[in-house]
Formats: sequence, structure tokens, C-alpha cells
Amino acid sequence: MKDRILKVIKETFELNKVDETVSQKNCEKWDSMNHLNLVIALEEEFDISFEPEEIAEMKNFDDIQKIIEQKVR
Amino acid sequence: MKQFIFRNSTVENLFGTTEVMYSGYNDIHTIDFDADLYIWFYMLPVKVNRQLLCEEIHSYYQDILYIREQIPSNKNLLVFTLQNFLDFKYLSGDFSVEEAVSSFNSQIAELAAKQANVKLIDFSRFTKKYASEQLIDWKYFFISKIQLNPKISKTFHEWFNKELDAIQLKRKKCIVLDLDNTLWGGILGEDGITGIKIGGDYPGNAFLMFQQFLIELEKNGVILTICSKNNEQDVLDLWEQNPYIMLKKEHIAAYRINWNNKAQNIRELADELNIGLDSMVMVDDNPSERELIRQLLPMVETPDFPEHPYLLPQFMNSLTSCFYIYSVTKEDLLKTEQYKANSERIRESKKYDDFNEYLKSLQIELKIDTANPFNISRIAQMTQKTNQFNLTTQRYTDTDILNFVEKGDFVYCLNVKDKFGDNGNTGCLILQKSENEREVIIDTFLLSCRILGKGIEMAFLNTVLNIMKEKGYKNIQATYIPTLKNIQVKDFYEKAGFELVDSGSGNKIYRIDLEIRTFQTDPIYEIKL
Repeated sequence: MKDRILKVIKETFELNKVDETVSQKNCEKWDSMNHLNLVIALEEEFDISFEPEEIAEMKNFDDIQKIIEQKVR
Repeated sequence: MKQFIFRNSTVENLFGTTEVMYSGYNDIHTIDFDADLYIWFYMLPVKVNRQLLCEEIHSYYQDILYIREQIPSNKNLLVFTLQNFLDFKYLSGDFSVEEAVSSFNSQIAELAAKQANVKLIDFSRFTKKYASEQLIDWKYFFISKIQLNPKISKTFHEWFNKELDAIQLKRKKCIVLDLDNTLWGGILGEDGITGIKIGGDYPGNAFLMFQQFLIELEKNGVILTICSKNNEQDVLDLWEQNPYIMLKKEHIAAYRINWNNKAQNIRELADELNIGLDSMVMVDDNPSERELIRQLLPMVETPDFPEHPYLLPQFMNSLTSCFYIYSVTKEDLLKTEQYKANSERIRESKKYDDFNEYLKSLQIELKIDTANPFNISRIAQMTQKTNQFNLTTQRYTDTDILNFVEKGDFVYCLNVKDKFGDNGNTGCLILQKSENEREVIIDTFLLSCRILGKGIEMAFLNTVLNIMKEKGYKNIQATYIPTLKNIQVKDFYEKAGFELVDSGSGNKIYRIDLEIRTFQTDPIYEIKL
């Protein structure tokens, strides 16, 4: 799961490398438009649908992993 | 190319953020005047009050007129039609929103017909591929005011780029058709002239529709050719004898009906018509033939052919997008005639041992016009499409050409006629004034391939150089910018007597002194100014 999330983040933001410390604060590419692209890419990758509240909460890698874990379980 | 987009909702997901600037929502007053292209992309506003909704729609047309006045007149404004896929309807007999939308759409269509720099984009060509609940995802609408479902934004982007290509006149030129099971059902060599399925009941009626469709493409300037493994005589007999075949020999510019391999045949067709392989689309029901071309001639487009004849209409729709352009010029429409006349010229040339005698016999007439409202769009089109005999390969739109004229630069258009027919406007020379007022710079010099090989390029250039000399200019500067396709002209200016002054950057810069030179054109060409 971790690797799949990181792969989506890396591809969506077109980054050379990425790790679990990635967050909106430390990643320049993570702007509001790319946030949306990331949400859509994650929805497709895991075949899930996020609630608006969840989308607002996803501020870093850990948030994303937590939310997805709840959903796929 | 920098785009500026007027919008009333979040559309960054559709147009991206590189080289794109956006207005505020519903804002028409902040305009970036440095953009190369202006786009009006308004979605039907989300409003539950139908009366307010209609009022807002009715105000859009005035906004567009205002924008058109504000932006530079040499820049294009693309206007998307409004599509209604999300209004709230309370009475089934209330058509006020539909009426407001269609009245807006006809107003902008009229505007686009009148104003050369306003172009219409029919948004329904995209939206009709989807059901209305696929077009909007309300979750994203409420989170970020995105109206067109972000899940289809990639498809939108691809579609829009094709529309943009159509407006900028990039498109394919020629279809290469197979015959058996492509233009009719069955195999001519086995089923015979009366046994193949064309017209009448299914599947003949589906193939008939496909033939009629191809004839319409031909009328709109697409070149039709045939490349088929068959006996040529069988096909000629079929054209003579089967009254149900609509697509006749006269619609076909050139053909290869033989048993040679198709890659060889298609290469020959491209040579004969003097067009690039990358402007050809192969339509063939046989997957192994398509695969052969994909491997040997990857620049030829090879769309998959439908497995069932009843799927042909969808295929037709996707084919039109390869050939889709905003409007056609007179030259496009005459093309098949001209290509056929060209083959006659080639046959004629074999009759003469002396090439000059042959040229003389053609009675070539060169008419050189300055740019005018009747040839401007053709001049722009030539700059977009001409690759081989093109010294600088600068691409221009109608408005760019108008700009040259307005700045006082010289734009000449060449029309070539001979005893076999009118080739139309097939060459152009654009000369820009330089800082040195006794010098002009050749910005663009190009000739359409179909008139090459007759010395016309020299006659055209020399005539224009003489005109410049008469106007009092002393020097001409010229450039050759190499591309993958224009190698044949790399030494053209040397042959024309220009002096190479610099070739450091890969481009070759030339100069010619008009004062000490006279330019004569061979009397075999009749020149009309």
C-alpha cells in the first residue's frame, strides 16, 4: 500500500523521488490543483471514493495512508 | 503559445497551467494583452433559479463583443458553444433555458461568420460522448467549483488539442483505401462484379454509406487513393459495370492496384502526389496489412478498421477528426483535379526529349499578386502545410499575414497555370522591411510541391527581386533554416546567385546586391503582375 501511494504521488506531481515525509508544506508541486489531481489518481488506483472532509484532511503522506486504510479494510 | 482563458468556473484541470492565464470567474475586465490566443470557455452556470440563469446567459454575448473589442485585432478569440447538461427544470413545458442557450449559440455562430478572428468551437462534439451524470461530479463541484468532471479532463485536453490543430490548419491530407471488405463486402476476385455486397440490404447498405461518406470527404478537399491487392482490370470493369458502386474512378487521385507489398505502393503514392507520408491515413480491414505499415511506415496513420460493417458510422466519425479543419479554401476543393492533371503532365513530359521544349509546350503562366482578402487564408495555409520547398518553415495564421500587410511588408502570392489546368495559389514570398531602409529580408519563401521541377521557383524569385529593385532597395537578405524535410532547398540561394555571409548557427544567412545584378526570367514563362 505504501509503495502504491508513493508511486501515485510521484507520478501525479512529476517528482524525481519521494518518501513518506512528503507533505503539502514541504512539496512545492502539491498545490490545490495538483491536490485534486492526486485525489482523483488515488481514487482510481484504489477504486475508492473520498468524502470532501477526507479530501480536506489529506495534508501529508501519513494522512493519506490512514484514510485509505480505513476505506479498503 | 500563450493562452488567456475567460471562464466562469474552475477550468485549470482542463487547460493546464503552463503557458495559460485565466481570468477571474465571470471577469472580462482584466485581460492579458500579451497572450497569443484568447479563449472563451463558459459552462452553463449552476443556478436553481431559471429566470436568473436565463438572464445571465443573455448577458454573455455582450461580454464577448466587449472582449473582441479589447483584445488585439490580430489575435484569435475561440468561443466555446454553451451546452446545457445540468439545468433544473420544474415544468416540463418550460424551454426558457434551452432557448437562451440556443440563441447564444446562434449569436456567436453569426459573429464567427462575420469576424475572421472569432472562431467557434462546438463543445457539443465533446459533451455528446457522455451522459449528463458523467459530465459533472457534484462532489468536485462543491469542493472546488469544477464543473466538468475532472475524471474526463484528460480526454477533454486531447480533444481540445485536435480542435486547435483544426483551427491552425494542421491535418492529414490523404486516405489510402483498401477495396475488398473495406469499400464493399466480399472479395471481388472471388465473388465477382455482381457478387460483392454493395447497396441493397445489410451489409451492402453499410458499405454504401461509407462510400458516400468518402465522396463527401473528397468534396471537402481530402485526397482519396487506393492501394489494394487485386487485378487492376477487375476493378476497372467493376467501375464500368456495377451501378451500385458510388465511389468511382473520378474520385480517386491515384491508385496502386497490384500484388506488390503495400509499403512500397504507399511510398509510390506519396511520391506521385508529392505529399508526405505523415499526411496519409491508411484505411484497410486487414490487420496484418495495417501492422506491416505500422512497422515499415510508422508515420502513416493506421486506425483500426471496425470488425462489423454496422460499426462503420462510428469509424467515420473518428476518421473525420483526422481531416477536420475549420474551413476549406478553393485550392483544397480543386485538389483531386490538380493531382490528376499532374499525372497527365508527367506522362506528357516523357514525350519530349528536350526538357526545355517540354516546358515551352506547357504554356506556363505565372501570376504574381500582392496579398488580398481573397488569398490571405490560402497564404496562411501554405505556410502551415508546406514542408519541402520551404526555406524558413515559418508557420502563420491569417491574422499574422494581415499583420505583415499592415506593417507595410511585402507579401506576394504566386498563381500557376498551364495548358492542363489551373494549379491555383501555390507559392508565396514574404519580405520584411529591415532597420536599414535600403534592405529587405526574405522572411518566407515557399512553393507547393506540385509545381516543382519546372524552374518556376527561379522565375518567381527573380521577378520579385526585380520588383524590389524597382522600389529602390539595394540589398536583400535571405535565410535557410534547415528542417528534417527541406533538405532539397539547402543550396537554393547559392544557385540563385546569393552570397553566403554566415552559417555559424546552423542556419545559412545570405545577401544579394540588387544594384550590380539584373534578374532575367526565361521567356518560356508568361509573367502577369
